[in-house]
Amino acid sequence: MARVIVVTSGKGGVGKTTTSASISSGLALRGYKTAVIDFDVGLRNLDLIMGCERRVVYDLINVVNGEANLHQALIKDKHCENLFILPASQTRDKDALTEEGVEKVLKDLEHMGFDYVVCDSPAGIERGAVMALTFADEAIVVTNPEVSSVRDSDRILGILQSKSRRAIEGREAVKEHLLVTRYSPKRVEDGEMLSYKDVQELLRIPLIGAIPESDDVLQASNQGTPAIHLKDSDVATAYQDVVARFLGEDRPLRFVAYEKPGLLKRLFGGK
Amino acid sequence: MAEASSLQGKLIEFKGASLAVMTAYVRDTDPVRLADALHMMLGGMPDFFAGEPAILDLGQLAADPDRIDWTGLLSLLRRYQLQPVGVRHLPEHLYEGARRAGLAVLGNEGFSAERTVTPPPPAPVAAPAPAPEPAPAPAPDAEPAPQTAAGSEPAHAPTLVVDRPLRSGQQVYAKGGDLVLLAGMSPGSEIIADGSIHCYGPLRGRALAGARGDTSARIFSTNFGPELVSIAGVYRTFDRGIPQAVAGRGAQVRLTGSDNLHTLEINPLQYD
Repeated sequence: MARVIVVTSGKGGVGKTTTSASISSGLALRGYKTAVIDFDVGLRNLDLIMGCERRVVYDLINVVNGEANLHQALIKDKHCENLFILPASQTRDKDALTEEGVEKVLKDLEHMGFDYVVCDSPAGIERGAVMALTFADEAIVVTNPEVSSVRDSDRILGILQSKSRRAIEGREAVKEHLLVTRYSPKRVEDGEMLSYKDVQELLRIPLIGAIPESDDVLQASNQGTPAIHLKDSDVATAYQDVVARFLGEDRPLRFVAYEKPGLLKRLFGGK
Repeated sequence: MAEASSLQGKLIEFKGASLAVMTAYVRDTDPVRLADALHMMLGGMPDFFAGEPAILDLGQLAADPDRIDWTGLLSLLRRYQLQPVGVRHLPEHLYEGARRAGLAVLGNEGFSAERTVTPPPPAPVAAPAPAPEPAPAPAPDAEPAPQTAAGSEPAHAPTLVVDRPLRSGQQVYAKGGDLVLLAGMSPGSEIIADGSIHCYGPLRGRALAGARGDTSARIFSTNFGPELVSIAGVYRTFDRGIPQAVAGRGAQVRLTGSDNLHTLEINPLQYD
């Protein structure tokens, strides 16, 4: 059974696509055959983050409309053997997505032997976002530690409860995970940012990790390399921890405590 | 042949029946002023009454009008999906106009609505309305919006229990009874009950108890921090923060005082 994971948030710019890219890469690195689908029809980004924008021939909408088959549309990732990308269409709009079409794509991926399908949701609560979460088995809710992001995540959790197939058919509820991104322990210490505990207390779903705020993310995006592949980066380590926890491993939470820079560090600088 | 006329044979049959019906106390018959008042009250919810039948009560008119613009009045009320079926407490010289407008002119006796336990709170046009504050924006995935009906329907509806956390944008209405939340509610969500509200876990959205005018309804919470609380239309917001004594703690909200002079009281809950 292919497990469908939606990466969603409600709010834009919180790190959904970065997370989708890193988590799908992490699962593929662990040996699982993984597909990552960009549901942001009209504003496709995932192909850029994955560094495959020049190889896009067919897209999700072409597959949904039967103009191409999955074998033609899936792009093999350049970093991982087991990872395939299904890009969004840049020229169509969200209305082109139909529930039957999306369901068929997911069924076909299952027949092709995929273990995980990661759905990168667009921002907002409209059609694209709802389509991305409709067939989800698990949801990773990406939230920044600030109130408006928390509020939007809460809204999306409500939609997940009411519009997902699992909810409509009365099956076991979608498994929800909270991922706090762009986390700055210093700003939390200074009282400028909600702590991950505050966020979790507000949303009341299990925490799967906290990704530190870092320039590495921007650098990774510009290079077209998912952040999880970066060498010597806290962000990469944090995403590896998230993947491990997702697969049931027990890992202590890192990069959430603020350490005052020591004397040497202050004298000689450093990261 | 006479034997054959069983139930199916009877083309029409008459039986006595009682109907729970809402009374709209109309205190002004000018359609323009009424339209303004209704818009203030229910602006965002044109389908608020969802086809509910209503009796117009003109017994509280400020001045005795010479004539009433029935067409304007009825079309205004129908715009909010209210179905006026009759009129009472109408001055005698207006009977003819009302009948011509298709309304039943009712006697002033035999109404059970007045005999219910809790009188509806006074409202400018139609009574009772759930709350006087601006209409909440209907959420796309919300449960059906509350409908008002006269307080003649006893509050014996089963308690509505919600097991999962209520999220921002979600709305739950416990019609005719109590509401129990077992996983709390988030900011931006809304709970409405005709009876009392019991919330185990954080109460963070808008909570409206006694929505049909039950002034004995209360709100209980183990973790108090709402955006708004209301009982029988008497409401309070927390612009300056939740009072220290109850913030994040167990608390109850209830109405104290006598008719027309209700105050909303928020007290910490005592546990042993």
